[in-house]
Amino acid sequence: MVSKKKIKVLTKRVSVFYGDKQAIKDVNLEIYENQVTSLIGPSGCGKSTFLRCINRMNDTIDICRITGKVLIDNDDIYKATLDPVLLRARVGMVFQKPNPFPKSIFDNVAYGPQIHGLTNSKEELEDLVVNSLQKAGLFNEVKDRMNESGTSLSGGQQQRLCIARAIAVSPEIILMDEPCSALDPIATAVIEELIDELMQNYTIVIVTHSMQQAARVSQQTAYFHMGNLIEFGETSKIFQNPKNKQTQDYITGRIG
Amino acid sequence: MNKNTRIIAESLKKRNRSESTFRLMGLLGIISAISFLVIILTSIINEGKKAFVSTQIKLDIFFDSKILDPSNSGKITEIENANYQTLIKASLLNFFPDVKTRNDQRDLLSMISSSEQENLMRTLTNDISLMNTKKEFWLKSSSKYDVINKNPEMIDFAEEDRLISNQQLFWFNELKKDNRVNFGFNKIFFTAADSTEPEQAGIWGSVMGSFFTLFVTLLLSFPIAVAAGVFLEELAPKNRFTHFIEVNINNLAAVPSIIFGLLGLAIFLNVMHLPRSAPLVGGMVLALMTLPTIIIATRASLKAVPPSIREAAIGMGATKMQTVTHHVLPLSMPGISTGTIIGMSQALGESAPLLMIGMVAFIVDVPESFLDSSTVLPVQIYLWKSTAARGFVELTAAGVLVLLTFLILMNSFAIIIRKKFEKKW
Amino acid sequence: MGLGSFCVLIILIATFITWYGNNKALRVNHALGKDLKLPSLPKYYSFYAILWLIIPSIILILTWYIAKPLILDVLVLSFISEDTIKNFSGDPSMLVDRVKSINIERPFPGTDTNLIEAAVYLKKTLERVQTFTFLSILSLGCFLSFIAIKKINPAFRARQIVEKYNVAILLVCSVVAIVTTIGIVFSLIFEALRFFDKIPLFDFLFGLSWSPQMAIREDQVASQGSFGAIPIFAGTLLITIIAMTVAIPVGLTSAIFLSQYSSPMTRSIIKPLLEILAGVPTVVYGFFAAITVGPFLKGLGDVFSLNIASESALAAGSVMGIMIIPFISSLSDDVISAVPQSLKDGSYAMGATKSETVKKVILPAALPGIVGAILLAISRAVGETMIVVMAAGIAANLTANPLEAVTTVTVQIVTLLIGDQEFDSAKTLAAFALGITLFVVTLMLNLFALRIVHKYREKYE
Repeated sequence: MVSKKKIKVLTKRVSVFYGDKQAIKDVNLEIYENQVTSLIGPSGCGKSTFLRCINRMNDTIDICRITGKVLIDNDDIYKATLDPVLLRARVGMVFQKPNPFPKSIFDNVAYGPQIHGLTNSKEELEDLVVNSLQKAGLFNEVKDRMNESGTSLSGGQQQRLCIARAIAVSPEIILMDEPCSALDPIATAVIEELIDELMQNYTIVIVTHSMQQAARVSQQTAYFHMGNLIEFGETSKIFQNPKNKQTQDYITGRIG
Repeated sequence: MNKNTRIIAESLKKRNRSESTFRLMGLLGIISAISFLVIILTSIINEGKKAFVSTQIKLDIFFDSKILDPSNSGKITEIENANYQTLIKASLLNFFPDVKTRNDQRDLLSMISSSEQENLMRTLTNDISLMNTKKEFWLKSSSKYDVINKNPEMIDFAEEDRLISNQQLFWFNELKKDNRVNFGFNKIFFTAADSTEPEQAGIWGSVMGSFFTLFVTLLLSFPIAVAAGVFLEELAPKNRFTHFIEVNINNLAAVPSIIFGLLGLAIFLNVMHLPRSAPLVGGMVLALMTLPTIIIATRASLKAVPPSIREAAIGMGATKMQTVTHHVLPLSMPGISTGTIIGMSQALGESAPLLMIGMVAFIVDVPESFLDSSTVLPVQIYLWKSTAARGFVELTAAGVLVLLTFLILMNSFAIIIRKKFEKKW
Repeated sequence: MGLGSFCVLIILIATFITWYGNNKALRVNHALGKDLKLPSLPKYYSFYAILWLIIPSIILILTWYIAKPLILDVLVLSFISEDTIKNFSGDPSMLVDRVKSINIERPFPGTDTNLIEAAVYLKKTLERVQTFTFLSILSLGCFLSFIAIKKINPAFRARQIVEKYNVAILLVCSVVAIVTTIGIVFSLIFEALRFFDKIPLFDFLFGLSWSPQMAIREDQVASQGSFGAIPIFAGTLLITIIAMTVAIPVGLTSAIFLSQYSSPMTRSIIKPLLEILAGVPTVVYGFFAAITVGPFLKGLGDVFSLNIASESALAAGSVMGIMIIPFISSLSDDVISAVPQSLKDGSYAMGATKSETVKKVILPAALPGIVGAILLAISRAVGETMIVVMAAGIAANLTANPLEAVTTVTVQIVTLLIGDQEFDSAKTLAAFALGITLFVVTLMLNLFALRIVHKYREKYE
């Protein structure tokens, strides 16, 4: 079982600076294909910043600077010849607060395929939208109101709409930045179930502030503290038998 | 590489091209906006800077007592009322002895501004010992010669398109050859009020008019606006009435300024019978216009004071009124002053409503009080622009420069206040 | 006694009352002994007394100024002999106006001596009556404030009352905004109704010919002038459209560039430059349009053998467009910046380029706000006066050709009202009819736009 794990993302000595402030310090991490890797740690520890390195979302912040290497399928994503557009089509992202565009549900999901020109006909696009909504487990709830605004949905539905939007361009990796922090427990449970299903086809990296959630959904867990990666390993081991004192303090609630 | 990545990679070139086109469009927008500014400013500076100097002609004036005081009475009143034009004429004829006919002599004399007669009189009455002596004077030329001297390309115009005749141009060139023509600082422009002759017209009358008008505006709008802002932001209950007030204020800020002029005309002049053309009325109209600006600025800077300060004061047992007057208002004063200065600079540039209440009159005296008939800087610019004589074009542009200078000074002052007292909570 | 000396006097009295009231309160405090004190600070007692001086004075002074014209009429009519009134052809009230306009020191030669006497009498009496009124107002104020000071005792809570009055004063100040609006509406409606008495509303709104030149003397019954405002409305519309054609593309693209593409450095340079453009007074734009742009376009037309009027709608409209650029760009910049970062992140994370994000996410999301901004800009263009007064025509041509001269509502208001006009002629009143049309149109645009913008802000706050 262990030998079958294929490394999808590999980071080598990644550091991130905001101006003069260093937010991430020399992080080396492996993320395995078709698994859920969760990043945990106290707030401000750099876990979200690290997540945003994987699809170069930090590029949109002017003062942000990155050193080190991030490899996807052994290919450096920060090399000059790579267009971030291409990268982000391969690495989807779901944000902390559901952020559907103020457009119809259909247009929200169709957005990615349209800008990238992935479909050739209207029927193809419709099929793709329906398919993505089904994969995100939202289709049955919205099939009669595809033309209503995406913002009219409930919080949990909005977040699943965002997931559907992300998978419409068939990414290989999906990054999730605390996807359930704005949701109630029932909606959270639905999303967690969804993550479990999506794992079959996608590599998922999830940042969460809830240790229980990390334990429930992920196979691998990385613990960050003050910009350092403190400990990384199989989730069960991290939670039951942490090697590092800091990790143990965090998990047992002594710091956080 | 899967199918999607391939499709995307192929379309990337096209997408990046449309990206740079879009960016270029934005850049073009900015560039055109900025170049409009540059064009406006340069064209005005080019024209306006000419008005700060004026053409002078050097003449030797002989204070002939036979002309100035024929009865030899030695009375100042007699000397004051004498005909100084004759002195200038004599001096010119001395230089151009060939000019014989009456018409030619008149044409020749028109070279010197008529305002110089009074200056000669003042020089003499201040120092009566000059009588029967010869003295060199730099006399101001009349506007037509001034325009020709400043715009050499006009010399080549056909005689009927030029402001002066060939003969007059010849005389002028003769004086030039003799080094009797140069440029001097145009003091009149900064000290006089309006005049029918361009070379005698000045901006000072309208500067004073603007000063009196803005003084009234400030006196009325500042206290009322701050009071209204404090009431709406700090004390008013949130109900339909206060909401109605707010809607009114926001709307007044967008009402065309000329409507305020109609209000002033109908109410201040026709119902209240206040004097026409007076800075008092102009100030009242502009105050109504400026109110919304200052109210909105007041509310914004009151809002910026953190609630913790109010809580601290109220926690000490202060009343709401004391909290506001002792703590919140002083802290928001820099913001309020900035807003007030900006409102005032808008009022300074405003002219449309003042046209309605008669501040557009031709006024040759510098106003001295709030009730004197007067005009204001922007209206003076409008008046000069509407005057046909060519000499007024540069005066208009110079007036614009003076107006812009005042605006820049006021705005820099506002920026300094904002920078110096700005607090980040 | 004039209003100036009245103000000086009242300030002096107020200073004295402050001092006296403070003293009195301190003495009462002293007399009360150690354990007991007045419930409010001494300054509140003197403030209370001053309120009793100032508020009645202000109310009475205002009443005086309102009543003054009526008193004038009575005075004048009582003085003028019966014969003069009988001999006068017009309404007696016009006689009063004539007396008021007489310059006593240099009366117009040939003025009825009875009327000059009336004017002298009027001036003297009025001065006396005014002095008497002002002095009585002051004495009443003093009397009231001394009663207020007499009332100082431990059972009297001055602070509460003073604060209540202060709030009331602040309320009155904020009501000024409403009073101004009411003033605008009433002054416009009142004069406009008088206009519509003479010219039917329908003729005004839908008439195709505008030539307000009226008979100059009363015996010239000849032309009544025609007041069909359609050519004026059309001219206003034409110039506004030209202005918007310049301002919207430039303003919007600059706003997009500034908010999305420029570095903070460039932004910090360009924003103040645009603010300068916004701060340039309209009279300067008018001068630029009339002196530079108009002749330039005319010359350009000559090159292409096109006949362009020197006061063409194009010249005035395009300069007005330049004036409005910063207005649109700063409003849209605000609106675009208000689009939440999360939406942009969502789009970038999908792999959209910047321009795709702007076109497909930011602009649609900001659309209501941008529409609001454009509506406000239109309202501004419609109401703009100086540029068109200086650079557009006066004659009302009904044309859609931007190369010809057209006139606008504001130009007509200015031309109709500049100079001394008799206030009853249809020509003067027409300005108010145009004024109320302008007010109603801009009011609707503003209210609608402000509502849109307000709703938009609420959505993203």
